[in-house]
Amino acid sequence: MEFEELRKIWDAQNNQPLYAINEKAMYNLVLSKKKQAHHITNISELLIIIVYIITGSVVLGMNLFDQSSNISMYVLSAWMIGSALFILVSRIRRIKGGNQFDRSMSGDLDHAISVATYQVRISQIMLWNILPIGALTTLGLWEGGKPIWIAMVVLLFFALSYYAGGWEHNIYKRKKRELEILKKKLASES
Amino acid sequence: MTEKEQKQIFEEWLSQHKALIFKIVRVYGFTVTDQDDLFQEIIIQVWHSIPSFRRESSVTTWLYRISLNTAIKWTKKERKHNQSETIDGVKHILEESRMSTDERLTWLYEEIYKLDEIDRSVTLLLLDGFSYKEMASILGITESNVGVKINRIKKQLISKSKKYDHHGI
Repeated sequence: MEFEELRKIWDAQNNQPLYAINEKAMYNLVLSKKKQAHHITNISELLIIIVYIITGSVVLGMNLFDQSSNISMYVLSAWMIGSALFILVSRIRRIKGGNQFDRSMSGDLDHAISVATYQVRISQIMLWNILPIGALTTLGLWEGGKPIWIAMVVLLFFALSYYAGGWEHNIYKRKKRELEILKKKLASES
Repeated sequence: MTEKEQKQIFEEWLSQHKALIFKIVRVYGFTVTDQDDLFQEIIIQVWHSIPSFRRESSVTTWLYRISLNTAIKWTKKERKHNQSETIDGVKHILEESRMSTDERLTWLYEEIYKLDEIDRSVTLLLLDGFSYKEMASILGITESNVGVKINRIKKQLISKSKKYDHHGI
């Protein structure tokens, strides 16, 4: 067959629809989804900001209330509030930079890659952040004269968090790599 | 834009251009469940895209862009092939037409499905009669790149169609 014949076969389908739509189910779907405009990045950013601010403030408040001289806990609360501010600034930069991509498949892929790069960067930073927070917490417990088993449980918790964070980070890395492959295929002159 | 206006545009677009979405769904989804899953993803993206449509391009071009972008990203997602329910437990929205289809068309769809995600998009646009300029604008690549891809895809499809003819199906 020549290409024009293929096109005629293709065009013939316009006269007979391939599917019928269950309109009720479709509108139910749209209604259930329309309020879910927030992307997963938005949710995870807000969650990190809220958790860090609340935890940092609670640790600081408890220390001030107890008039504690536990330096590690003061450093820990400052570190947590600082981390929340860092994520907040990153979030503002990300949102501001979101409209600079052109409206084509290539532009859309560039945008998706930029979001994926952001997710990889933030998840990496959050992963590293577990180390100082874990160390400061353990140090604070030791300075506060808590039993060793509590410190061990806390260390185990941070180790598990580190493992889960690494797993999440790898998902973002894989997603980014797949998008980059797509972009490369689209741009390749072959 | 009010919700009523958005719904009105959505209904209008869907009634006039659903064939376009059906083709994309069939080219990117292998099973009926996959096709239904992708259709759901596309209509959600189309719904969300309505307020940002500025009439700088035709509705067809806009819908192609939204649908193809959704489709190529969808192919990278992990999917579960549940036969009775699709994403978020929503029942099937699409039902396959019972009208008999040309065997050659089924063959053509199968051949397009074998191409990679990007080439499938190019082939769809080519078969639907878009110009090089329009294709370059939808895909965000140069016209010469579009030309190179089209030449390769055409050669590939013609060569395969000869084998298909040869087997006398």
